[in-house]
Amino acid sequence: MRIITRQVEDQPLTVIIEYPELNKSASDLIQKVNNLNIRFSAFDEDKQIRIDLSDVYYIENVERKMFIYTERDVYRFNSTMSEVEGMIADTNMVRISRTCIMNTDHLKEIRQVKNSHLEAVMDNDEMLIVSRKYLKDIKRVFKGE
Amino acid sequence: MKKILRDTCLLASLMILAVFAFSIIWSGITEEIKLVFELFGLALIISTVNYFFDEFINLSIIMSYIIKYFAICAIVMLFGFIVGWFFPSNFWMVFIYVGVVLLLGYLLDSFKIKKDIEFINKRISQKNKEASNEQ
Repeated sequence: MRIITRQVEDQPLTVIIEYPELNKSASDLIQKVNNLNIRFSAFDEDKQIRIDLSDVYYIENVERKMFIYTERDVYRFNSTMSEVEGMIADTNMVRISRTCIMNTDHLKEIRQVKNSHLEAVMDNDEMLIVSRKYLKDIKRVFKGE
Repeated sequence: MKKILRDTCLLASLMILAVFAFSIIWSGITEEIKLVFELFGLALIISTVNYFFDEFINLSIIMSYIIKYFAICAIVMLFGFIVGWFFPSNFWMVFIYVGVVLLLGYLLDSFKIKKDIEFINKRISQKNKEASNEQ
C-alpha cells in the first residue's frame, strides 16, 4: 500500500482511497476512515450544530443528560451512553468510567494520584477521573487492537 | 502467558463441572460434589458483587480493597454458615482466607495498573514525538 500525503491549502481535509479491487482490506480501510468522519449533532442552547469527532474531548452523562465537551465549549447532546458507544466503535474514543467517554487523541497523560484514583490529563489540561476497570480499554486503543 | 493461565483455569473449571455433573448420574450428590458446586456458587456471588462494586463505586485502590475485604468476608461467612462450612469456633478463618486472596489480588492489580499507565504514557509520548517530527 502506498501512502501519499500532501498539503493543499484552502481545502477541507480530504482522503482519497484508490484500490485495484474492492476486497476486504480496502473495505476495512474505508470503514476506518468513515469512522473518523463521525459528526455529532449537538445543541448550543437552542441552536443545533455539528461537531466533528476530532473536536470532541469527552462526552459525559450528568444526571441522565449527555454533554459533549470540546477544547473550550460544552454542548447538550440528545443521546445515551449506549448509543454513543455504538457510534464510536473502531475510533479512538473510549469509555473511561460509567458516565464518561474520552477521546484519546486529546489525552496528554494518565496518572495515578498516590494510592488513590486514576486521572486522565487532557491536552487542554482538563482532568478526568478514570475507573480502574476501564484502564485496559484505554490500553487497547493504544495497542491498536 | 496470561492468556494461557486464564484459559487453563477456565478449562479446568469446565472439566471439573463436566466430570462432577456426570458423577451425579452414577453416584448421586456426594460431599465432594456438593462442595465443588458450593464453591462455584460462592464464586458466582462474589464475582457478581465485585462487578457491581467496580461499576458503581469509584474509590482509591486501597479503600476499594478494604471495603471489598469486609464485604467478601461477610458474604463468605454468611454463605459458609448456610452451607455448614463454619462453626462459631472457626469462623475467624474466613478473615485469613479472604485476606490472603485479596492481598495477592491487590499486589497484582497495583502492579498491572502501574504497567498499563507506563505503557499508555509511553505511547502518547511516541505519538507526540512522531507528530512533531512530521511538522
